[in-house]
Amino acid sequence: MYSQQSTQQAATELITAAPELLREFRCPICGEVFGTYEQLQDHYAASHEGAVTPVTVSLLINGKRTQVLIEPHWTLQRTLQFRLGLTGAKHMCDKGVCGSCTVIVDGRAVLACMTLTVEVEGKDIETVEGIAANPAWKPLIDAYCRWDAMQCGYCTPGFLVSAKSLLDHNPNPTEQECKEALAGNICICGTYPRHSQAILEAVYNIANPPPPPAPPMGFGGPGGPGGFGGPGGPPPQVP
Amino acid sequence: MAISNMEQLVGVNDKRMDFRVVGQRNLPGKVSYALATGVAKFGIDYTFPNMLFGKFLRSPYANAYVKIKDISKALAIPGVVDVVVWDDPDIVKLGGGGFGPSRPWLDDYADAEGAEVGAIVVAENEDICDLGLKALELEWTVLPHIVDVEKAHANNATMPTIRPSTMNFGGGMFDAAPAKPKENNVSFADTIQGDVDAEFAVTKPENIIEYRLQLPTFASHIPNPPSSVAYWFDDPYHPSSKSLRVEGAVQRRDSVGSMYGVSNEMTVQEGIFQGGKYCDWGMRRSQEIAPLLAKRTDRPVRVADEREDTFGFLMNERFLYLKIAHTDEGLITAIDDFSIADGGMQGNSSFGTANDQGYGPYYTFKCLNIRQHMETVDSNRGKMFLSGQHCPFNWDSGTMAIYLIAEKLGKDPIDIMRLNLHGPTSQEDPNPVLSFEEISKAGKEMMDWDWHATGARTLPDGRKHGAAVRYQMCPRHAFSGYNCKLELRGGKVHLPTQGPVTGIYAVECNAMVVAEELGLEYDDIIVDFDWRERFTPVGGGSDGSTASSWAMKECANILKEKILEATINQLKNPPAPSMFGGFGGFGGPPQPDPFEGVTSADELDLANGMVVLKSDPTKGKPLARAVSANIFATFEGRPPAAIWSLGMGKMLDTMNMVFTEVAVDEDTGEVEILRFGVAIDPGKVLRMTSLESQCDQVMYFSQVCQTLSEYVYDERTGVQLTNNMIDYRWVTPLDAAPVDHAIVESRSGNAAYGASGISHSMANTHLVIIAIHNAIGVWVDPPATPNKILAAMGKA
Repeated sequence: MYSQQSTQQAATELITAAPELLREFRCPICGEVFGTYEQLQDHYAASHEGAVTPVTVSLLINGKRTQVLIEPHWTLQRTLQFRLGLTGAKHMCDKGVCGSCTVIVDGRAVLACMTLTVEVEGKDIETVEGIAANPAWKPLIDAYCRWDAMQCGYCTPGFLVSAKSLLDHNPNPTEQECKEALAGNICICGTYPRHSQAILEAVYNIANPPPPPAPPMGFGGPGGPGGFGGPGGPPPQVP
Repeated sequence: MAISNMEQLVGVNDKRMDFRVVGQRNLPGKVSYALATGVAKFGIDYTFPNMLFGKFLRSPYANAYVKIKDISKALAIPGVVDVVVWDDPDIVKLGGGGFGPSRPWLDDYADAEGAEVGAIVVAENEDICDLGLKALELEWTVLPHIVDVEKAHANNATMPTIRPSTMNFGGGMFDAAPAKPKENNVSFADTIQGDVDAEFAVTKPENIIEYRLQLPTFASHIPNPPSSVAYWFDDPYHPSSKSLRVEGAVQRRDSVGSMYGVSNEMTVQEGIFQGGKYCDWGMRRSQEIAPLLAKRTDRPVRVADEREDTFGFLMNERFLYLKIAHTDEGLITAIDDFSIADGGMQGNSSFGTANDQGYGPYYTFKCLNIRQHMETVDSNRGKMFLSGQHCPFNWDSGTMAIYLIAEKLGKDPIDIMRLNLHGPTSQEDPNPVLSFEEISKAGKEMMDWDWHATGARTLPDGRKHGAAVRYQMCPRHAFSGYNCKLELRGGKVHLPTQGPVTGIYAVECNAMVVAEELGLEYDDIIVDFDWRERFTPVGGGSDGSTASSWAMKECANILKEKILEATINQLKNPPAPSMFGGFGGFGGPPQPDPFEGVTSADELDLANGMVVLKSDPTKGKPLARAVSANIFATFEGRPPAAIWSLGMGKMLDTMNMVFTEVAVDEDTGEVEILRFGVAIDPGKVLRMTSLESQCDQVMYFSQVCQTLSEYVYDERTGVQLTNNMIDYRWVTPLDAAPVDHAIVESRSGNAAYGASGISHSMANTHLVIIAIHNAIGVWVDPPATPNKILAAMGKA
């Protein structure tokens, strides 16, 4: 079962799994593994003369510094998927049309399939996993799920990133502003009206957070810690 | 709005009137959090350590043979691990498939530009695969191709046959005319009822209408490009041979396993997310080949389709030439339907196209004289991955007949529909169809329906106003059986399923029905996704949600019976005391048992998460306390066949009606869809939010194929020019037309609680086209682009 808590945890684990520093350097041509980048360079000079040597790039993703070994032509989407296991930025059109690979770079929504990894070295990159791992954005994710702002779900992370980027810049958008902010995201499944509904509900719930759930009865009586896990708080009110 | 028509319902609790859970909106899907957060992994997302990549050689020609002359240069490229050619014994062993005489799984012949042919390169990464493919020494023999179906049909006698062995799916399928042999590239299918020629002979000439429609090719355009990754491993539970892990095959794990002689138990697939595979269940070669490449290299191998490789047909092209006879009042008395259809690669579209002809577009009419003659042309345009013309996309030939008669007689098309619609039981039944009456009433209210003649209304901004309406049945295919299992464990009910998840919220409907029947809440039903399970909610049409929910409802009631019996058993044989149970828990003396004196399960019921006394539902025990045993219930079966499928469309229960209003600028040819309206009767709403989204989805399909995008081929080379998301545009949140909903519940379907579902029965090719005609009086083939409209108006 997937819940808000379990997916937040899963996203957090994906982010923390990325290594801060590379400890092995695998040759993308022959698969041989080396202990240092210099050894890999030597290997290229000796065995793959004329081939473009891979580069190491230092990235700041979801607040964590990480190092990747890539070829210079790799897009950010490819790096996120194949080097970091962050598959929320989806491979879909591969032409900058559909928005399924949307990420936020230095506060601006960009298309990871149209962005070279080497372009974003040192920049602040936020992926959907970073949004999912941040409890501050729970109202947005809750609203997306309550309103079925997804059917097959493949494009949904891209929409969610665009929605978050919108709220970063405009915390109280109109429905039309929601549509405009999401105009670069394409859904084949017919969910468009749901996204505006979800964003507007999230705006309300961010501004009017529901009271914390009443402490459940259990060991220690009312007000005691923990217990046997009573019901959660009331569902958020639709504005 | 609910209307009562429940006499025919079957199963447990068929006539339930009060619903606590079923029909609710805003209940999150069971996997929604995974989808929204990117945690969900689709086939294309999987990577494994030490993974290789595979890529097919793809044909640059529309119709060609390839000779692989030399692979040594490719093999010599650093990073290339394997090159597999089509006549390699490993490939030959995979067998064949498809329609007509069997072709090898891969051979040296390409049916379309971009088709997989001849060889596969496996390498350390995809870039090296590309280098390997370029290094293959090839010799192409290019053959004439067919991408213009009408032209190929006209010149059939002189055209070379592009595929002599294709099967003819012609006459005989539906008590039709005798089979006629395939001629060159054309096969034939006839479906005939009554005497069309005799009826035309007695019809006044002014009551005969002739017209032509082009049903456009429409892209299936699944969001997630098909992809699989596979490897072989040692499983200590199955030591006799290697087990297979394959991700990305999703629904077809079993068929991929069987291709390689691996049992279902030894074919592991943990991923459940299939993406938007709406009625597109065809496996791509990329999804089938990964296990072989993994076996040859003893490493995980991933094979993915590029975006450009995934623009298969949802609907193939078809040209219809119609001639209809009608009475002075507008009653249709004869229909002569001649059509030319694209058979696609290997004639794979032919079967479905002829099949859909059987479920004809005219069978809701009283008309008893119908002749459908279809000539299907083999082409090199591409491959369909679902059934042919795919009704109901092809049903607008009937919509057009209604409109043309209404226009001619100056009547509201809805009145012409009602005049021509037969009754619920047969074409001779004169009674009204309750569902139609309700949806037409609801739809007219929703749209403030005020029909006008062509060109009669101008909007305040000077643009011309047009409107159109269309009705159809809500088809539920009724072919799928379901193997359900429910388990009570620790006071919670678990619903195990293998998936897959395809975007239709099927398991959610299942969970809602189970909660309804067991007196629980939606969140009390735990859906356990496990590839080992047998239950899958996938079924044709709306079966996945409504018919699987019917089966799950039966299963829930079996579980309920067992729970109540187990409660009695536990009363008679209390379980051994435990720290948390037997003494009533901490904090007080044991409470009196509310079931004291109860001896029969008939005295008990389930409500609000408790086992309660029927005589006093305020007295009871929480489920977890009443029953400590694990209890399973299973049910295998399906609801009675949908009336639509029983009657081949000649019996009617649930129906739908869609409307549109457009504004046409006569100076620029620009069309704005002001609104769509859908008035639907799904029988019973199971899950409101997803039902509304399904309605929106098919209206966007309709908007795209009628105003935005089309398949375009370069006739000289046979190359498809619109196989990407730039050239084949989709609507965006900004230009998607608003869709209003009016929902009626007739309870007259045969699935859960009288549900039928809506499937994709509102999808259409000509609703907007007709509205444009209603606005400005010209016909254009879809898509109605401004230049086509200006040309039709004589302004271009």
